[in-house]
Amino acid sequence: MVQAEMVEAMEFPLLANQYGVHGVPHTTINDGKGNVIGAVPEEHLLAEIRRVVGG
Amino acid sequence: MTLLNDNVTQQVREVFQQLKEPVHILFFGQKANCDYCDETRQLVEEVAALSDKLSVEMYDLQDDAETAAQYHVDKAPGLVIAAKEDGQIQDFGIRYAGIPSGHEFTSLIQDVLLVSSRDSSLSPQTRDYLKSLKEPVYLQVFVTPT
Repeated sequence: MVQAEMVEAMEFPLLANQYGVHGVPHTTINDGKGNVIGAVPEEHLLAEIRRVVGG
Repeated sequence: MTLLNDNVTQQVREVFQQLKEPVHILFFGQKANCDYCDETRQLVEEVAALSDKLSVEMYDLQDDAETAAQYHVDKAPGLVIAAKEDGQIQDFGIRYAGIPSGHEFTSLIQDVLLVSSRDSSLSPQTRDYLKSLKEPVYLQVFVTPT
């Protein structure tokens, strides 16, 4: 149910632009439905995932 | 010419002493419009040679479209860091798009160690929540090598 992809932003600039990536790391959830900027603690990422998919 | 110098090779070899279970890397390249496919392929081959717990298979995004679709790989160079149990590939959903160089080389090595340990190291609360998921979660982490 969970897939995670590291994307090298310089090699895929169109995708990075699509999600408004200005700094790294920048994590998008389900194609931009959620976003987390920075290397955040596990709970913080989880809170954003919850906001997007519920539960 | 090798991409990893003797110093790095030695360090990775030492770190790989901690490898527990086998790890299998699937590499996806493409023939045209891929600036870093050749380098990434070479990098992965050099890394895989540093432990007998590591294996690697090379695919082409177009020629092996079915395998690419099966693993949801749509970018080249693309990597899947998977587990291998009794010859069977076990997908943990871990992907790389682009060359894992610079800082990201460390991430690659850490991912190999993580998959080899078969332990996500996530908290029990996180694991419980993820088990209860009713729709898929697709995370993309944008990074740069520097």
